[in-house]
Amino acid sequence: MALKRIQKELRDLERDPPSSCSAGPIGDEVFHWQATIIGPESSPFSGGVFFLSIHFPTDYPFKPPKVNFTTRIYHPNINSNGSICLDILRDQWSPALTISKVLLSICSMLTDPNPDDPLVPEIAHIYKTDRDRYDTTAREWTRKFASK
Amino acid sequence: MSDYQSDSYMDEDYDEFVYSEDESVISISSDNSHHGQARTRAAAAAAATIQSQPSAPAQSQTQYSADYGYEDEECDFFDDNDNDFERAIGTRPTKKAWAVDFKVYDPDGLSATQKATVDRMMPLLATSRGTTTLLLRCYLWREEPLVEDFIADSERTLAKSGLVAHPKPLRIESGNDEFTCEICFTSGADEQYFGLSCGHSFCTDCYVTYAAGKIREGESWRIRCPAPKCKTLLGEESARLLLAEHTDVLDRYEVNLTRSFVNDLDSFTWCPAPNCQYAVECLVPRSAMMTVIPTVNCKCGKAFCFGCKVDDHMPAPCYLVDKWLKKCKDDSETANWLKANTKECTKCKSIIEKNGGCNHMTCRECQHHFCWVCMGPWNEHGQQFYSCNRFSEDSSKNARDSVSKSRAQLERYLHYYTRYNNHEQSVKLARQLLATTEKNMEQMQREMTLSWIEVQFLSDAVDVLSVCRTTLKWSYVLAYYMMSDNQKIIFENNQSDLEMATEQLNELVENPIGQSSIEDIKRKIIDKSTYVKSRWETLLSDTSLGLQENRWQFEE
Repeated sequence: MALKRIQKELRDLERDPPSSCSAGPIGDEVFHWQATIIGPESSPFSGGVFFLSIHFPTDYPFKPPKVNFTTRIYHPNINSNGSICLDILRDQWSPALTISKVLLSICSMLTDPNPDDPLVPEIAHIYKTDRDRYDTTAREWTRKFASK
Repeated sequence: MSDYQSDSYMDEDYDEFVYSEDESVISISSDNSHHGQARTRAAAAAAATIQSQPSAPAQSQTQYSADYGYEDEECDFFDDNDNDFERAIGTRPTKKAWAVDFKVYDPDGLSATQKATVDRMMPLLATSRGTTTLLLRCYLWREEPLVEDFIADSERTLAKSGLVAHPKPLRIESGNDEFTCEICFTSGADEQYFGLSCGHSFCTDCYVTYAAGKIREGESWRIRCPAPKCKTLLGEESARLLLAEHTDVLDRYEVNLTRSFVNDLDSFTWCPAPNCQYAVECLVPRSAMMTVIPTVNCKCGKAFCFGCKVDDHMPAPCYLVDKWLKKCKDDSETANWLKANTKECTKCKSIIEKNGGCNHMTCRECQHHFCWVCMGPWNEHGQQFYSCNRFSEDSSKNARDSVSKSRAQLERYLHYYTRYNNHEQSVKLARQLLATTEKNMEQMQREMTLSWIEVQFLSDAVDVLSVCRTTLKWSYVLAYYMMSDNQKIIFENNQSDLEMATEQLNELVENPIGQSSIEDIKRKIIDKSTYVKSRWETLLSDTSLGLQENRWQFEE
């Protein structure tokens, strides 16, 4: 079931790739993918390319995939280990969601952080109190860690 | 224990919610005249708080009268084992100051309670059984807020939980060419599929796997439609339809439903005894736990505190028990002992206990020579015989004060802990004593041709002993945290009376019984048991009233 579904998702991604992201298996490992997200234009991450790793559990899609950033990013909901605090990756996961929808959600999270439910409280605090400083730091980090 | 006592005790459970003195009248109504009557009872301070609790008094009362018949039938069955505590103490069916109202439910009773509530609410909300049940579960069975919200805006109340008043009959469909399952992406006319009122359909295989996974994780009514962000709840009927062939999962589902009913309600808790299947309902609110110790007796024989699930800990309130148990567990007193009895080597920080000898210390670890009094290096003291005149009067006083203070604290703790521990051990010994007593009773029956009922006094006395020991044990915890004043002296007098009487009874029970003096001993033991009981009641009524009156100051 998991295998069939993952292969179907891969076919769909190849046939109809989303505009700002891509994903695919690493070598022959069907349950371990790599994804890239292009920093959205309207965010301080624009111009950056961010890599993510995706691990599918064996009971996928009834359990959410494990998605982590492997590129450093300055964001209130993403910590230094690359862990992402996103509801649909945890309790709000639905088996009808796909990797492509998850990546799009992450993209929109980059544009609109959720500072009220932060993973890194310090960044959330700066985001709420001093947006210019947040934008500057995020842009710096993007240039430093996520530029080609 | 006679049937009469058992029956009236059972009555007590119900009619004390409204404090009717009349035992024969079980009718419980929610009208205010009963409440008025209730307030007139002086000793009912605790119960008044219980009654005034806002959450669903109407529910419990009706519920109680509805369930009463069921309990009554069970009475004889429980007679022998449900109530050692009551038998031991032999309370008359009048309300004690420390007693709280509670009711014990078995799993069938719990289902019946839920069903009765749903039956009552169905005509009120005019929704289907499934929808009514889910609404009640979403409102954690609080009927009043549900009815209020529903009357104010029924559409919104239903939509919040993704419900419709009368959902179309659920069925598993097939034969749709255009159907594609969004989970496994299979499609075709052969696929069987299922959807809730929200219209999101998935193939039955995926639906079953999804629901079964959630159920194995312990979920029940909170399972939602698998579509992203869809709020529609999978009701009981849908679960039963989908899982009809998976009886093991369905059984688990039913267990989870009952479990969530008890967990969702503040007024319910599971009996903490291992493998006990009973749940207890008690209407003492959390806010009253500072002054009320809601001790309940499960039908399995376990007496425990409804508030903190610790075994019966009267007369110490929950927060002190919690503090005490933590204190006993951690080694804060070890630290105090070290502080009171040891010093650290100024050079290598080894901990040294000085158990004799002169003040010229040589550290065994680092061979450092120092003075025990001023902790300075020994060579500064010169070569004369010991005289530590380098020592300033102030610092010596401070050092002595802090040492003696922590020493006094330790001694105080040990004083109470020894007694607490002693009674705890004695409770365990009392259980062994019960075994020997049973042997003695058999022997007496054989040798002295006494009937079974004539030797019961002995096991009754042992029951009294263990109940009193438990109370004494926790009374030392109460005393430990109690600030010294006149009121404490009164409490301690009560405590010592009970302790003395308990020890005397213990001695009487343990003494071997000679044939000649059987009548004499029986009389003595019965007399003493009665006296101990009355001391026990005095201590408990006094402490429970005292706690409510804030008679004592407790250490922070």
